[in-house]
Amino acid sequence: MNALEITNLTKKYKDFQLDNLNLTLPSGCILGLIGENGAGKSTTIKLILDMIKKDSGTITIFGKDNQTDIHLTKQDIGVVLDDVGIPEQFTPKQVGKIMEHTFANWDNALYERYINQLQIPKEKIFKEFSRGMKMKLGIAVAMAHHPKLLILDEATSGLDPVVRDEVVEMFGEFTRDESHSVLISSHIVSDLEKICDYIAFLHKGKLLLMEEKDILLEQYGILQCTQEQLAQLPQQAIKGKKVLPYGVQALVQKEFIPDGMDVLPVTIEELFIFMVKECA
Amino acid sequence: MKGLLLKDFYMTIKYGKTLFLVVLVFWAISCFDDGGSFFLVYPMILAGVLPMSLISLDEREKWVQYSGTLPYTRAQLVSSKYIIGLLLGVGAFILSMATTAGRMWMNGYFSLLEFGTIASLLLVLGLLPPTILLPFVFKFGAEKGRIMFYVVIGLATAIGTLLAGFGFQMQMQTNEFAILFVMCTVAVLLYLGSWCLSVAFYKKREL
Repeated sequence: MNALEITNLTKKYKDFQLDNLNLTLPSGCILGLIGENGAGKSTTIKLILDMIKKDSGTITIFGKDNQTDIHLTKQDIGVVLDDVGIPEQFTPKQVGKIMEHTFANWDNALYERYINQLQIPKEKIFKEFSRGMKMKLGIAVAMAHHPKLLILDEATSGLDPVVRDEVVEMFGEFTRDESHSVLISSHIVSDLEKICDYIAFLHKGKLLLMEEKDILLEQYGILQCTQEQLAQLPQQAIKGKKVLPYGVQALVQKEFIPDGMDVLPVTIEELFIFMVKECA
Repeated sequence: MKGLLLKDFYMTIKYGKTLFLVVLVFWAISCFDDGGSFFLVYPMILAGVLPMSLISLDEREKWVQYSGTLPYTRAQLVSSKYIIGLLLGVGAFILSMATTAGRMWMNGYFSLLEFGTIASLLLVLGLLPPTILLPFVFKFGAEKGRIMFYVVIGLATAIGTLLAGFGFQMQMQTNEFAILFVMCTVAVLLYLGSWCLSVAFYKKREL
């Protein structure tokens, strides 16, 4: 079963439009939503959670339309927003008490375990936390009610590399259970590259591609050659190019490249940058 | 909804310390103030506007967006503010009425009519600010809602002044229980109407 299915989703604003978005997140998988600031990642997440109204399209969560009793569906969803949103004067202990009365499956022992694991000070108020610490508390709250779906909007930004690695590992561990899924948006592509099974590129409200990460890394590569060599390649092989002082660097689809040409592995970040620049 | 009420209770304790102090001072003054009702009414009005202060804080701290991710309906999110306002209002009402009764007892007389009039006045004045203000706040947000509130109050005052200028006069016979009863009933009905309107507005609001 799919944890999340988005079909032809459209949302129009005066100066921005999320245009005909189609996404699928199978259960047990992690889908990374990559896009520059203002690409439509947060809009997508808000639409999923019915915080804003769509203009057209459908969204189903665990096979159920998100317009039907979304508050009940949210019992199985853990969310971390970019701004977290926990009141500034509250300590983690008070937050735990509020959530105990909010989520039917709230697990105090698990919350305590995450608080200790992420080294979150229990008695300090939220206002005095660093951005990273705020994110960590948001993550602990999002995971302490045994959710089936985690929705994380820029949840790893602001974390130092060591903690980021730890948190990313936690998400990976979370999806070892096949009924668990994660939708994570970020512009820190390296984090997503580590843990995601599927990658979706969003640019100016449009979906550039959505594919299994391994397939993407297998299909595409970087070719460094001269302008003349590039001109001899079939057009459909070239997905983007960058002119350098000593030649050309191109993103290519490996299957169309003749044997003997040296195609280097591509990272998801390079893939994204090439594709976005090609759209510009 | 218990979680929402607990959250607002914590917020009231944290941010409402000054308000509580003001209420206590006014209450203490009202104990010695002979006959004047301003010091009795003020705590009620403060209790009535506290939900708006809580909403302002929610907006500033991004709780408005976060609460939209939690398993609550929009109606529950709105209702928690009305309920917390009612709980505080009831507290202020009991305090004020106990003071009134105590003052009457100390002065050696008890007038049911005067007691009822003060109770009705407190009820109406306590319910009026949230009744008018909350729908605006849930529709436009705390800042814009507050501005809209002042516009409405300004317009109402201007219309009232104009009507008075044209010779209209409202005849208030506060010595009649029936009028007090009607006044309170209308205030409660308007409050309930405001509650429903806020829910309808908030359901359409984008978080």
